Amino acid sequence: MNFSPTGRAKKSSHAALNLSSMIDVTFLLLIYFIITTVIATPEDALIPALKAEKSSTTSQDNFEPQIIHVDTVNSVPVYQLGDRSFSTREQLAIVLEKLPKEPGVIFRVGNNLSVGFAIAAIQEARNAGFEKVTYVPKLP
Amino acid sequence: MPFKRSQSRNNVPVVEMTPMIDIVFLLIIFFMVAAQFAQQAKVELSLPSEFGEQKVTEQASMLIINITLNGELILDESKGVITRNELNAQLESLGQDGILWEDVTIRADRNASTEALNDVLSLLSKHGLKATKIATEIP
Repeated sequence: MNFSPTGRAKKSSHAALNLSSMIDVTFLLLIYFIITTVIATPEDALIPALKAEKSSTTSQDNFEPQIIHVDTVNSVPVYQLGDRSFSTREQLAIVLEKLPKEPGVIFRVGNNLSVGFAIAAIQEARNAGFEKVTYVPKLP
Repeated sequence: MPFKRSQSRNNVPVVEMTPMIDIVFLLIIFFMVAAQFAQQAKVELSLPSEFGEQKVTEQASMLIINITLNGELILDESKGVITRNELNAQLESLGQDGILWEDVTIRADRNASTEALNDVLSLLSKHGLKATKIATEIP
């Protein structure tokens, strides 16, 4: 009778879990998410007030908001305040800084410009500290 | 002379996979959570590169009007281009539910003509909206 020695340790059976397939799937998932994830560009918004264009012109006294025309002159987009014209937003920013803020500012935007040019004016008004910024689309 | 029985074990280098799996799962969770998945598919546009109002409010808009470079109006990318009359009808139906200006966002391509934007804004003004949100891309 061949008994196994008592000192001999029993072979403990461990359930072997083969992880290699799971690692493959995990890496595939990771690669999938890396490729398909689109990091969205952060967006914000400008919130100008809206007004319909009226035929009557507003008087230019101290309590009325300043009206800045955003239009093209000889096919060149410009910002016009009175008889002064500015072709860049930096020039507009300098002028906006000097204007009184409380009455606000109205931008009358023409139809032959790029949206970026018009929106730049609204942004500059916000940067200058205007709380009342109104966008008036010009009728064709 | 008692000799120790040489224990000729084959020392096979064992690579511990457990920490690596943990890291990989963490990476997956990171990409799932940290990446901003848009709630609705956004139309690809080059928005004006401006900082915007920089206000914290993150109210989702009920109506997003996209204006492409060619001046086309798109509400939902899957439905394609819509006409001015269709937009008008959409605004009327939302007006019955009491649309507010906060519910509408305009996403216009920076190189699009202001003619399309002015047209849309005139329409919004006609429906009683006193203000509007014009989306910008934070530079």
